[in-house]
Amino acid sequence: MITVAPQVNQANSQTKFDLENLSPELTALEIKNLDLYYGDKQALKDINMKIPKGQVTAFIGPSGCGKSTLLRCINRMNDLVDSCRVEGQINLHGENIYDKRVDVAALRRNVGMVFQRPNPFPKSIYENVVYGLRLQGIKDKRKLDEVVERSLRGAALWDEVKDRLHDSAFGLSGGQQQRLVIARSIAIEPEVLLLDEPTSALDPISTLVIEELINDLKNKYTVVIVTHNMQQAARVSDQTAFMYMGELIEYSDTNTLFTTPVKKKTEDYITGRYG
Amino acid sequence: MEHNINKHISGRFNEELENVRNHVLSMGGLVEQQLNLALEAIAENDADKARKVAENDIRVNAMEMQIDEECTRIIAKRQPAASDLRLVVAISKTIADLERIGDESERIAKVALDSFTKDQQDLLVNVENMGRQVSKMLHDVLDSFARMDARRAFEVHKEDVKIDREYEALTRQIMTYMMEDPRSIPKIMDLIWSVRSLERIGDRCQNIAEYVIYFVNGKDIRHISQADIEKTL
Repeated sequence: MITVAPQVNQANSQTKFDLENLSPELTALEIKNLDLYYGDKQALKDINMKIPKGQVTAFIGPSGCGKSTLLRCINRMNDLVDSCRVEGQINLHGENIYDKRVDVAALRRNVGMVFQRPNPFPKSIYENVVYGLRLQGIKDKRKLDEVVERSLRGAALWDEVKDRLHDSAFGLSGGQQQRLVIARSIAIEPEVLLLDEPTSALDPISTLVIEELINDLKNKYTVVIVTHNMQQAARVSDQTAFMYMGELIEYSDTNTLFTTPVKKKTEDYITGRYG
Repeated sequence: MEHNINKHISGRFNEELENVRNHVLSMGGLVEQQLNLALEAIAENDADKARKVAENDIRVNAMEMQIDEECTRIIAKRQPAASDLRLVVAISKTIADLERIGDESERIAKVALDSFTKDQQDLLVNVENMGRQVSKMLHDVLDSFARMDARRAFEVHKEDVKIDREYEALTRQIMTYMMEDPRSIPKIMDLIWSVRSLERIGDRCQNIAEYVIYFVNGKDIRHISQADIEKTL
């Protein structure tokens, strides 16, 4: 006879945040009144959102909706585009990253980024991982070895490459290269990891491996991912933001957004309907 | 929010959803017919009609299996989200209840295989009355499903209280009858089972109403009071 009500397994259930009133200690990033222009064209319109710490937040939306642009704002990659102009704020630890005094190189160390196509350097696996540390002037072999192992383990690649650390990174498969790039990003211990369609060039199995990795990463980092694959956003993220034509249409916890979205535009997009 | 199931970019997906929805409506039609046939069998004391109900139940079961398979296929191939997902979930639960309503109808029809005395006929009339109410409830809930109308579904949801009251009254009446004439008990037991079946059909119609509301509003209204349901609509 069952005397105790069965306990619902809480391990996989996600904590639901009140995203509008997220307290400062739970907030990793706060985007405030953000507008972005490419020349005369406004690409982002008054974006306001808080991204919680230690969680995976996904940006979804059709091509050209501004999701990659928004992601690139978070480590000021858009500074590299001449015609680009940004207004508004993005606060990391309550400090605006667009403040004039901010050291952009330091910001990018703190906010790592991984792109659609794996872009390892034409060097060995080992040298790829320690690249950032060498730039910082770290030479201690023991320290470097330690970081290589920790980062490759963190990126779920260690077991596959531990016997060939000094082989060229180009000898790895696409999925392995992408995990190597993630290992390179986490070697310098950023707080935030930005992933711009990290699996769109990978096969389904490598994709699942990366997705599993994203789930492990969120214990240590705040992850923000842009993806064209809606099911992927549904699988990996805790929060999802739906963007359309430069506007943030709906932002809520992923479970709600994919079962009971509030806005019709969101519903049409995630169910594959004509707008 | 309006839920148009034929507005997907994928025409095949529209077709699949449309088909599965139509199959549920046909299954609903068949189950409604089964219940009415069972009630007619009792009213006319017609054993042939009762046997017909039993025969048709095989078709109801087959439809449930077919629709379930269609739902599984849609989930596997289309990964439906939002209202599409809620539709598939609602359908999959609705057909389980419809199948059970089919089983209950078969049980009700069995009463027509017995012969009743003149006195007992009076009881039968009351069972038929309750049956008509239940049949209307089934009809209305299927109608709310066809129109995907949460308001209408809620109206049906409220009807179940009346059925429950009717069930209690009828049970009391039958018990009195049994006490007065203990020799009738074996035969009257069949009757009491059929009344119980009618009451269960009412509950299942209420379940279906809940699935319709879940599909339309995305709200799970099971196990909450009518007043609270009203607030969500």
